[in-house]
Amino acid sequence: MITAERKPLEELIEYIKPFKRILLLGCNECVTVCAAGGRKEVGLLASGLQMAMLKNGSNIEIRQHTLERQCDPEYVEELVPMIDSADAVMSMACGCGVQQVAMRFKDKPVFPAVNTTFMGASERQGVWAERCQGCGNCLLGLTGGICPIARCAKQLMNGPCGGSTGGKCEISNDVDCAWQLIWDRLKALGLQDRYLDIIPAKDWRSGGGSGPRKIIREDLAE
Amino acid sequence: MQNSNTIETQNNKVLVVGGGLGGIRTALDLAEADKDVVLVDKDFTIGGLMTQLDRTFPTNNCDLCTIAPHLSESNRQEHIELMTMTSVENVAGEKGNFSVTLKTKPRFINLDKCTACGECFKQFPEFVRFSPGLDHRAPTCMRYPQATPQAFSIDLDKCTDVKALVDVCPAGAINPDDMPIIREIKCAAIVLSPGASLFDPTPLDYLGYATLPDVVTSLEYERILSASGPTSGKLVCPSNGRQPKKVAWIQCIGSRGLQKGAGAYCSNACCMFALKEAIVTKERFQEDIETTIFYMDMRTFGKDYELYLNRAINEYGVRFLRSRPHSILQKDGEDDLTMTYTMDDSTKQFEEKFDMVVLSTGFKTSDESRLLAAKMGVELNSDFFPVTVGLNPVVTSKPGVYVAGTFESPKDIPETMVQASAAACMAGADLPKYDKKPAEESEGVRERDISLEEPKVGVFICDCGENIGGVIDVEKLVEHAAKLPYVAIAKAEGHGCSRLSMANIRQTIEEEQLNRVVIGGCSPRTHLTKFQDLLGKAGLNKYLVEIANIRDQATWVHSGKPDEATAKAKDLIKMAVGSAVKAQPLTDQSLPMNKNVLVVGGGVTGMTTALQLAEQGFQIYLAEKSDKLGGLAKQLIKTLEGDDVQAFVGDLITKVQNHPKIQIFTRAMIVDHSGMPGMFKTGMQSGPQMFYRQLEHGVTILATGALSNRPALYLLDQSAAVRTQLETQKYIHDNPQAVKNWENVVMIQCVGSRTAENPNCSRICCQNAIKNALAILEINPEVRIFVLYRDMRTYGFQEEYYQKARSKGVIFVRYDVDSPPSVKAAGAQVDVTYFDVILGMKITVTADNLSLSTGMIADIDSTEELAMIFKLPRTNDGYFLEDHVKLRPVDMSVPGFFVAGTAHSPKLIRESVTQANAVAARAQTMLAREIINLGAASARVDSNLCAACLICVRACPFDVPFINADGYSEIDPAKCHGCGVCVAECPAKAIQLMQFEDDRILAQVEQLFERINA
Amino acid sequence: MEKFEPVIVAFCCHYCAYTAADMAGSLRLPYPSNIKIIRVPCSGKVDAQHIVTAFEKGADGVFVAGCLEGDCHFKSGNARAARRVEFVKKYLEEIGIESERLEMVNMSAGMGHRFAQVATEITQKIRNLGPSPVRTTMAQ
Repeated sequence: MITAERKPLEELIEYIKPFKRILLLGCNECVTVCAAGGRKEVGLLASGLQMAMLKNGSNIEIRQHTLERQCDPEYVEELVPMIDSADAVMSMACGCGVQQVAMRFKDKPVFPAVNTTFMGASERQGVWAERCQGCGNCLLGLTGGICPIARCAKQLMNGPCGGSTGGKCEISNDVDCAWQLIWDRLKALGLQDRYLDIIPAKDWRSGGGSGPRKIIREDLAE
Repeated sequence: MQNSNTIETQNNKVLVVGGGLGGIRTALDLAEADKDVVLVDKDFTIGGLMTQLDRTFPTNNCDLCTIAPHLSESNRQEHIELMTMTSVENVAGEKGNFSVTLKTKPRFINLDKCTACGECFKQFPEFVRFSPGLDHRAPTCMRYPQATPQAFSIDLDKCTDVKALVDVCPAGAINPDDMPIIREIKCAAIVLSPGASLFDPTPLDYLGYATLPDVVTSLEYERILSASGPTSGKLVCPSNGRQPKKVAWIQCIGSRGLQKGAGAYCSNACCMFALKEAIVTKERFQEDIETTIFYMDMRTFGKDYELYLNRAINEYGVRFLRSRPHSILQKDGEDDLTMTYTMDDSTKQFEEKFDMVVLSTGFKTSDESRLLAAKMGVELNSDFFPVTVGLNPVVTSKPGVYVAGTFESPKDIPETMVQASAAACMAGADLPKYDKKPAEESEGVRERDISLEEPKVGVFICDCGENIGGVIDVEKLVEHAAKLPYVAIAKAEGHGCSRLSMANIRQTIEEEQLNRVVIGGCSPRTHLTKFQDLLGKAGLNKYLVEIANIRDQATWVHSGKPDEATAKAKDLIKMAVGSAVKAQPLTDQSLPMNKNVLVVGGGVTGMTTALQLAEQGFQIYLAEKSDKLGGLAKQLIKTLEGDDVQAFVGDLITKVQNHPKIQIFTRAMIVDHSGMPGMFKTGMQSGPQMFYRQLEHGVTILATGALSNRPALYLLDQSAAVRTQLETQKYIHDNPQAVKNWENVVMIQCVGSRTAENPNCSRICCQNAIKNALAILEINPEVRIFVLYRDMRTYGFQEEYYQKARSKGVIFVRYDVDSPPSVKAAGAQVDVTYFDVILGMKITVTADNLSLSTGMIADIDSTEELAMIFKLPRTNDGYFLEDHVKLRPVDMSVPGFFVAGTAHSPKLIRESVTQANAVAARAQTMLAREIINLGAASARVDSNLCAACLICVRACPFDVPFINADGYSEIDPAKCHGCGVCVAECPAKAIQLMQFEDDRILAQVEQLFERINA
Repeated sequence: MEKFEPVIVAFCCHYCAYTAADMAGSLRLPYPSNIKIIRVPCSGKVDAQHIVTAFEKGADGVFVAGCLEGDCHFKSGNARAARRVEFVKKYLEEIGIESERLEMVNMSAGMGHRFAQVATEITQKIRNLGPSPVRTTMAQ
């Protein structure tokens, strides 16, 4: 899932300062699951903004609405009846959702309320960790199911750097060395030989190196 | 007992004689266990003495409102036939098949027609004076607003104009031609709980009770304090109507053989009664009033009672004088009373003035109940109380006839409640066993569909006597409530929980077609169920009611500031209305009841309960921590009364071991626990291998006992001459020859009890000392025995053994807590030095034996661990804390848990056995059910909103939610415990906890601030 | 300016603090009338939103009262509540409301005295802090 974290209140206040009527949007997909922008967070942020603005001397009107999925135009269409009564939109969805809304309502300022952070997995209740960077050319089949792009600080392709000590990355003792993990897992699978195969240098074109990417399924696309 | 279907024999009933607190408890326990009861009372309404009390110790709670729901439990009526104004004429037959003739006096009012409107009372108010002299009674007397039956009665002899009286009744309920009715009923067992009378001090002219109006009995004082009393709660001297400045209590009037006609026994409850009255008086008037208690020994031996005494001394400044006053006089020309008394450390005679003197009169059995006993063939002792089986005090000399309450022996409310339940257990066991009738489809009121209606709220505000109405103006609250949004009607409702008010509310709901109800009254903890039932009867879903707790949260705690209390009560009502508007109809969940019972603790208490319940056919798991059954009682030889404890315990163990329905686990340790009342799962390791198994059971009984205390004081464990009382008893038994050579024996009381570390009284030690002293004298009549004590607490009939010990020459010397005796080793003996108050000097006795009354302490390790596992509350000193100290003394606050024996507080074997039987009766009230109602407070998922994020699945403490095949979270309402944790964590706000929905909570918040923003 | 009397919302667990408040009632233990109780089945039921809304609507203080540590009727609701209260405290600071206005307290059902004491202390603390900034601006 795409993970996100709410921006500091201060930054959000700067965005909406000039406006009186705000439409605050949530999304019932990834940001709900990572507790960043679901119905609950929308409610909390609305109250927080209301109070903070009040302290700044301005009484704003916040309307809350959470879409099933903000990155799909049909869902965004739900906003049509309420958009006119808003001076600005603030979205707690990931960057995709924010842009989708901004694109649909061209005359409304749309602000992000969260920093979209990474594609990650849930380690346990309340903890999410980065697992994928969407490089467009998945290597997991070669690396024992552990991604060196997302999980190695240097995105090394062929074994750890010299900074790997005791299975931990040199950037922090809290970060596992991805290559240590890969090695351990290959060994457990009896596939140590794989480790000897040289993985060629990464072609970053598929990872966005050659501009914005697009997927077109010809059978589906209209 | 192979009877399959219902057998409609007539003798499958229990007759309960006496509708006081105890009789009601017995009847309710039996009824709830699906047993039929006939409850007779000679009075016009049931309730007994309790209904005359203002507040009760040790919480100083006005318990009338807690007992009121007990009195009018309507849903139990199918098993209880209530006959008031009825007495027993004659009894024939034997256990299992009694035939009883009952006579009902005419009430002159048709109960079916009387609406208790009070019109007759209004028109003909004062015909007759009501004893005890301070209450007024009209010909149509209803003593308090929650009375059962809720109808008036008429004393036709005193009525001068019968025609006018008949005409005044709008319901046409008055029938001057009413006749007495004689009826014969068959029953299998009889429980006598006719209560006791109070000693009449009239003949004691030196106390002036007959001549001086300001000398009153403690019950009369109670009536003066009571909001429903003759002075409406104003404390005034009866002689001149002025508020007294100095009030004195004299203890032991009619008790301890002190006065002419007094009982030889101690009346047990009077010390606490006087303490309560003094504290309540101080509480209300503080510096304006002085309270003095003249006493011989303060006998605060009950659970946490010592703390109450300490509060009276330290917090309230009640003055205590150890003295028996000589006389009360009113000198010529004086208003106040002159009391003459001496003190034990003085030879002088003191005179002191008081405005009022309260005589703490003791209990005695009435002539009527003595006659009743004679009719029953129940033998009475020299004090005219029933002779009972030594180790089971509810069993009389007549098989099938049981006693409970103050008729058995003088006692206070909790002990009455315990005995009442124990009697229910014993009597219930005498009934023929038969399969339960299939529950008849009750013709319930059809629930109105309100789904399309706008909220239409009715607000009903109680004055609760003085409790609410005495602090705030209820009418103003009503006016305020009437203006709130969606409120269609607002009314003042007197005692909202009285039957009359309940009927009014119901009528208003029906007439006005209300669809939400708000009660402004007391705590939903005690009264929500009652009002929910009411809504059901009025055709509304029971979850459409909300209670604003304006009594406990406003008038009781802000009584000194009526304006603040009023403002807060308004807020609370506003919040409740806000919440009620959002309330939705809900359906209860239910599950089958597991009928197995886990009994924790294999001492006398645990074994007794186990055996009683096993006899009723329930499967028992008996878990004992040690490797054998018997508990502390295994160390006891005889009781004070001479019962053979070893034989008793041995017999009990054999029975328990051989019972097919009892499975015993020794060396058992409870390790985990889950589930809910009626379907618990408890994990236990037991046996030498610590084998783990999980037990499924519906009820849990805690009988884990207490420990014999052993503080390192007075050379205990350092000198061979120093023993605990428990060791002394064994030593006397095993070494009579050595005892014969003793010259001096000293006993020290309160060793390790009533101290800063262990503030409570251990209850058992005074009688223990007497028991051992008498046993020593039996062997060696020449020995000198000194008992050094603080207060001799030989309550009830123990007093007579105390007097016997005194008459046999045992020397009782009081010591002060500030100057305790000191002990020095002197070879094989010890030198005990104490200060003798009367001689005014220190005395040293060289003792061959020093017995320390070390009493009991809670088994803190066990109770702490069990309290953690089972989530149960404990007292500060580590005993399990019951749900209600007065009215539910063996029920724990968590339904399905019960406590008995010394795990509850220190007590004697007979008292433990009584509690064990009581618990068996209480447990049966649950075990008799086929299903457990789980209520409606469960979490509900809105599948449209659910993001299947798993947060609820992870957050639930009981692993209930799961993501179902349709891809959203599902919560089984039968498994949901209703905590609401998932609701608070759900990031999609897809879950709501029924009854506590977010919009209801937020509505309360919003309503609260409505005014501030306006 | 007239004497400031704060409004304090107390979210009280049915099994402990609510019962303790009843106990304070039956013991007639006075405490400031500023405390307004909302009954919840467990302190773990108290949503961050409930607390924030209370402040938004004008509360000067809020406390969440749960069972003693380890005594939660529902295992760990009180511990969750404590974590949530910490989270909301940080959020309040972000908003510009003193986090001292929010507190988590623990007590058992038998602690009528403690309830009255906590209610008194918290009221005093909030009195000293003065009206909540939200309420101050709302009034303007």
